[in-house]
Amino acid sequence: MRLYNVMRFAAFAAATVLVAQPALADGSHQIGSPAPAAKADRTVEVVMNDNYYGVEALAVQPGETIRFVVRNDGTFVHEFALGTPEMHATHQKEMAMMQEHGMLTATGMNQDMKGMDHSAMGMGAMTHDDPNTVLVEPGQTAELVWTFKSPMTLEFACNVPGHYESGMVGTLTVAPPTTK
Amino acid sequence: MKRLVALAAAGIATFTASAASAATYDISIGRTTIDVLGEPSPAMAINGTVPGPILRFKEGEDLVINVANTLDEDTSIHWHGLIVPSSEDGVPGLSFDGIKPGTTHTYRFPAQQSGTYWYHSHSGLQEQEGVYGAIIIEPTAREPFRYDRDYVIMLSEAHPTSPYQMLANVKKQADYYNYGQRTLGTFLDDIAEKGLDATLSDRLAWGGMRMTPTDIADTSGYTFLVNGRNADQNWSGLFKSGERVRLRFINAGAMTYFDVRIPGLEMTVVQADGNNVQPVKVDELRIAVAETYDVIVTPKEDKAYTIFAQSMDRAGFARATLAPREGMAAEIPPLGPRPQLTMADMGHGSMGGSMAGMDHGSMSDMKGMDHGTMGGMAGMDHSQMAAPAQDPFYAPGSGLTPKAANGGKVLSYADLKAQKPLYALREPTREIEVRLTGNMERYIWSINGKTYSEADPIRLQYGERVRFKFVNETMMSHPMHLHGMWSILDNGNGAWNPAKHVLNIAPGTTLAAEVEVDAPGKWAFHCHLMFHMATGMFREVIVEGGPQTAAAAATAAADTTAHAAHGGM
Amino acid sequence: MTIITKLGGCAAALFLVAATTSTVSAAEAGNPVWGLVKVDKLEYRAADETNTVAWDAQARAGTDTNKVAFKTAGEYVPDDDSFEKVETQLLYMRMATDFFDIQAGVRHDFEPGPERTYAVLGVNGLAPQWFEVDANLFLSDHGDASARVEAEYDILLTQRLILQPQAEINIAFSDDRPLGIGAGFSSIEAGLRLRYEIEREFAPYIGVAWERGLGETAIRTRADGEDPERTSLVAGVAVFF
Repeated sequence: MRLYNVMRFAAFAAATVLVAQPALADGSHQIGSPAPAAKADRTVEVVMNDNYYGVEALAVQPGETIRFVVRNDGTFVHEFALGTPEMHATHQKEMAMMQEHGMLTATGMNQDMKGMDHSAMGMGAMTHDDPNTVLVEPGQTAELVWTFKSPMTLEFACNVPGHYESGMVGTLTVAPPTTK
Repeated sequence: MKRLVALAAAGIATFTASAASAATYDISIGRTTIDVLGEPSPAMAINGTVPGPILRFKEGEDLVINVANTLDEDTSIHWHGLIVPSSEDGVPGLSFDGIKPGTTHTYRFPAQQSGTYWYHSHSGLQEQEGVYGAIIIEPTAREPFRYDRDYVIMLSEAHPTSPYQMLANVKKQADYYNYGQRTLGTFLDDIAEKGLDATLSDRLAWGGMRMTPTDIADTSGYTFLVNGRNADQNWSGLFKSGERVRLRFINAGAMTYFDVRIPGLEMTVVQADGNNVQPVKVDELRIAVAETYDVIVTPKEDKAYTIFAQSMDRAGFARATLAPREGMAAEIPPLGPRPQLTMADMGHGSMGGSMAGMDHGSMSDMKGMDHGTMGGMAGMDHSQMAAPAQDPFYAPGSGLTPKAANGGKVLSYADLKAQKPLYALREPTREIEVRLTGNMERYIWSINGKTYSEADPIRLQYGERVRFKFVNETMMSHPMHLHGMWSILDNGNGAWNPAKHVLNIAPGTTLAAEVEVDAPGKWAFHCHLMFHMATGMFREVIVEGGPQTAAAAATAAADTTAHAAHGGM
Repeated sequence: MTIITKLGGCAAALFLVAATTSTVSAAEAGNPVWGLVKVDKLEYRAADETNTVAWDAQARAGTDTNKVAFKTAGEYVPDDDSFEKVETQLLYMRMATDFFDIQAGVRHDFEPGPERTYAVLGVNGLAPQWFEVDANLFLSDHGDASARVEAEYDILLTQRLILQPQAEINIAFSDDRPLGIGAGFSSIEAGLRLRYEIEREFAPYIGVAWERGLGETAIRTRADGEDPERTSLVAGVAVFF
């Protein structure tokens, strides 16, 4: 019986690592890389509310490292995620599953469930620790520091089920400064 | 060009207050001819159109609405879902005497809420004759959702027969409009499929109750409309690819529930009955008579989409188009199969075949049954469970449980959670049981076994929080509507229980909702299926106590504004 | 006044009332007053010995709880220009259960002679398994009691093509010699009619009707030189408004 449990845990751990790989290789490396706050070129404050961002568009330059300070003034949990619409679509599916299984509640991550063995429930990695996203509980502030790579048009979005569709998304343009 | 004109005119005339006096509106009710039934047919209209003009109010405005009656019979206008003083609620006999022919009545009330609502006659059977229109109240605060454009999608019906004659017809022969009955053919098919024993016991079970599982809708023969246009006329709304479009679905039908979907587009429900809800993504939703649902869709492809609303009994459909350019149309899906009720809808659980020994001679048998164990959601915590296949607001095994045509998700009452609660949560002060009763054979519908003329008013005290427990002892779905106050549906979400103005109770189920009794005066409380209301499924609710003087009422109104203002949150 | 005039008078009166209330008035949440005129049978019966025109009609007016009904049934022999049977009833009907009304009133038979007036007490409604039932007790002005039970059932072949078996049985509790009725089961009627509902309100039909005197009554009928049994092919129309 104990050996069985150990094997289940090992399988779970392995699965987590294996599945976590795609999480890191989910395309986020294509849009840039996380960076330490000390390296930030500038700070951008983003205020979140129910269910919208205070800004509709952001602009950064390729190579810039931005320290996003994200404050949640709402009563529900919100996310600030950087990515392409496709990345957001994938992330939305993950978050929908987390919500369905009770890991993600309206006001945050369910701490009780984090420690549970989810392998028996046939789920993949039920974590929310991708470097290009930050989940902020109501009243909290969180930081996300990111170095942008090459010129492209991205979106910053909240992938909590229903929020993106409600308009909690904005354009993030990575472009060199326009010369006059 | 013709299409453009048609789009502009054939849909809705949007009505905003004239510049002269900021919040005065003039509407006139009269007779007209409509062209949706293949040949010109008589109808009643507001400002000459069916539906009437969209009334766009601003939250906080003091409204003055002049309603002129050019008919030769009394009329009235009720502001469905609006919290107004009882004298302005528009119900003849309760709020006022009605609007006499040839006269104009002025309604005055503040718009103390925002969202999508509607208005309609509360006189006779005029609602089905065409006296209805949409109301949009723009919020003062920011909405919790963003969209680039919005459209009213008002679903309704037109019928070649006058509603008075239709009511007489069902009185004379209860199954007058049921052209989907079981025949010798279905009997033989069932024998082939299920065997003689099962089929015979099924027929005997239903026959013993003198009921038929094909009895989904009382009336048929309707042409279904979107914004006053039939399916061929194809009301259309334009969008630019990638835009978020807000669709304000309003069911202005007199008798029809619609199952709505837009093939190829997912809908995010953001508002129900005028109140914002935490967004829910669905593929399909069932909108009961008099309900409203606001959804956001994001059409990305450069193609047309069909808004498809089939009647719950699958007798027909309403259809509209969302397209990037005029003149486009998308494929219309075929009608789904006609649903059939099951024994679960009769409140008998999943008892299957043999009903021997049970006396089903009369509906009064249902009284002894424990309805507390059926359906209902109070207290159940679903946040930890995987999405249940069974909608808890339908009896387990019900034949009416909505199933998405694409196998996806249908909106359930269980999914509705207030974005921002209107009232703080507190224990109810008392409970009132409301049994939904009726006799299909005689076509008499009632509450607690009594028709309106046989019953006493329901008396409530200002300041109470009353828990209404609806027990549906019939085999029809009933959309119950209380005027003047919000009905907070108990779907197990505690403080986030959604505030609604129409509650759909499916056959054989129980549903609870709580009402903060904060509106003095006389209020109507009735099933919104027009012919049910007309035959007795109606009550007067009298709220006693509370501020009676104008000054005190103004203070109370200010208080109500404070906690009814849910603005953009 | 001839029979036709008497009959016509009563019928016209109530039909008029029922027809004018045949649509529900703009009643809101109440007990609307409404009327109904129903011709269940209007048919030509072709039989070996005698061809007849038979009818069975009624008019009702009132509310859900209280109604007045006028019923008439009979058979006319075109060849003789005579009536074999003319029966009229004027009843007060009161809702008793979800599916049944209790009815009480008066019945007057013009033909066959001698004329008889009866007090009527009975029930009318829908029995389990969808049988339409009308069951009545009669007490004649000569003190003779009798009973009649009628039942009919609709078999839907399609949504509009309906096969209706129907039966009526009459029981006499005492002899009524002038009428040729003997105590016991006095007569039985059965029919099978296939109707097509062009509209709910208008349904032509064809079928077969069978009537037979029983027991003592049959004996007396034969003694009068008539056949107590008759089978007819029928064609007619059922109408209501």
